[in-house]
Amino acid sequence: MTFDGLDISILGPAFLAGLLVIATHVPLGQQVLARGIIFLDLAVAQIAALGVIIAYSLGFQGNSWQVQLIAISAALLGAWLLYLSEKYWRDVQEAVIGCVFVLAACGGIIALSSSPHAGEQLKDLLAGQILWVSYQQLIPVALLYAVVLGLWFSRWFNRARQKSPILFYGLFAITITTSVQLVGIYLVFASLIIPALAVRHASHNGLRAAYLLGAIGYASGLILSALLDLPSGATIVWTLALSAILTACIIRRCNKPA
Amino acid sequence: MKRVTNLLGVVLLLMALPSHAALQVFACEPEWASLTKELACDKASIFSATTAHQDVHRIQARPSLIARVRKADLLVCSGAELEVGWLPLLLRRAANPNVQPDKSGYFMAAEQVERLDIHTSVDRSMGDVHAAGNPHIHLDPNRIATVAEALTIRLIKLDPDNSAYYQQRSDNFLSRWQQAITQWQQQAAPLKGVPVVVHHKDWRYLLNWLEMTTIASLEPKPGIPPNANHLARLTQQMQQSPATMILRAGYQDARPSQWLSDRTNIPAIVLPYTVGGNDNATDLFTLYDDTLQRLLSALR
Repeated sequence: MTFDGLDISILGPAFLAGLLVIATHVPLGQQVLARGIIFLDLAVAQIAALGVIIAYSLGFQGNSWQVQLIAISAALLGAWLLYLSEKYWRDVQEAVIGCVFVLAACGGIIALSSSPHAGEQLKDLLAGQILWVSYQQLIPVALLYAVVLGLWFSRWFNRARQKSPILFYGLFAITITTSVQLVGIYLVFASLIIPALAVRHASHNGLRAAYLLGAIGYASGLILSALLDLPSGATIVWTLALSAILTACIIRRCNKPA
Repeated sequence: MKRVTNLLGVVLLLMALPSHAALQVFACEPEWASLTKELACDKASIFSATTAHQDVHRIQARPSLIARVRKADLLVCSGAELEVGWLPLLLRRAANPNVQPDKSGYFMAAEQVERLDIHTSVDRSMGDVHAAGNPHIHLDPNRIATVAEALTIRLIKLDPDNSAYYQQRSDNFLSRWQQAITQWQQQAAPLKGVPVVVHHKDWRYLLNWLEMTTIASLEPKPGIPPNANHLARLTQQMQQSPATMILRAGYQDARPSQWLSDRTNIPAIVLPYTVGGNDNATDLFTLYDDTLQRLLSALR
């Protein structure tokens, strides 16, 4: 047990990053769950990574805005492909998503076989580490997510989304490409699916409960990782799950007729 | 119950003692934690960010790493881009002005010595090559001695009140170390000119010191995992002019060296690589003792 890491200036930026991720991923996750396309985020993130590899082979370097632009464009392109699969192969969409994921991942391995530096960069892209996040880094993400949330909860967007799911896929691609670089693929997947799963039977206030359990999961995970000296990202995934189980139990008890 | 409270009191006291007024040292790798321990002993409280069983090129972020760097008076790392994947991020997050790159609390061992394989131009076709030269310098005992001298000067600069103590520890360490080097060189005489296959280029300094010959590497280019073509070529090469042993570190994947060993009957040797790499390598002296013993046993 160590109390060294229990410092708001160490855990603060990470917690804020967690709140930003939760804010956007919970409503997206509810959609993902409703559509039954659980592994969409893995596929989209992997396509974004493939885009980055291509950017490197074109000669772009480091974490420049060009690389980000190419990553987001690749993710959007991938999202569009997956939207087409929903349109034309509805019954096997999950299988198509899985195939796209392995193809993108293996395409990356082939492209990287002669370039280990790009490999490092790729690992950074897929395994962002929540503790390395700084407040300055969070400003552009917060602005982007404010736009995403504004759109998501606007009546106009909801009506348009009903007509054409492509809007959902596009927004999803932009959000995931950003969050994966911030907190890594495991936390993105957990933030997307776990809270949404816990509140799926909630009759009302489901979103609020999911937000609350997410915040508790991130806070307790960060504190636990500081006390027990554990890697933060992996610990948070576990506390998110525990917090979700607890929430699901409470919801079940509330739903029972008195 | 009383005994438990007493014990707890002693434990708390022990925990509190070394951090009190002692120089706070953050070492990136166990070999530098061990060297600092030799020079500063109980005048410093030393934390090692990685263990011998981790690949230092990448590590997982834990809150304690940031907390330790924040408290540190001195950072002792390999440098030469070995920790480039995480140290700059860690320094930025910890925002401790005493250990930033231009300050005396920032000590990079590889910058104190002449490095091998410095490339004036590095491009991606060469693989995972560090432009600043090969950073795995701790496997050459003569370079360790140079680093020890420079580190002593740095310790004295940061903590002048104990300068006599550091100087005395340093003189003592260096005289024991020079004796050990003479002994090791005598022991290692049969290794001279022996041809070896390495997994990664992290044995560069050791083999250079022992004048052993690297005839091939399991990685086709540094940092790139072995592929079928390359392994087939290696097998063929080993049939024509066999190596005496295949070397890898404990933290590296065992499969490629085992694969080649199975096909060519050349023994695959696992070396500790750094302090803590196996049960025998508990400090810098035993690290070299154990490494030499393992190399020599492969000759028999």
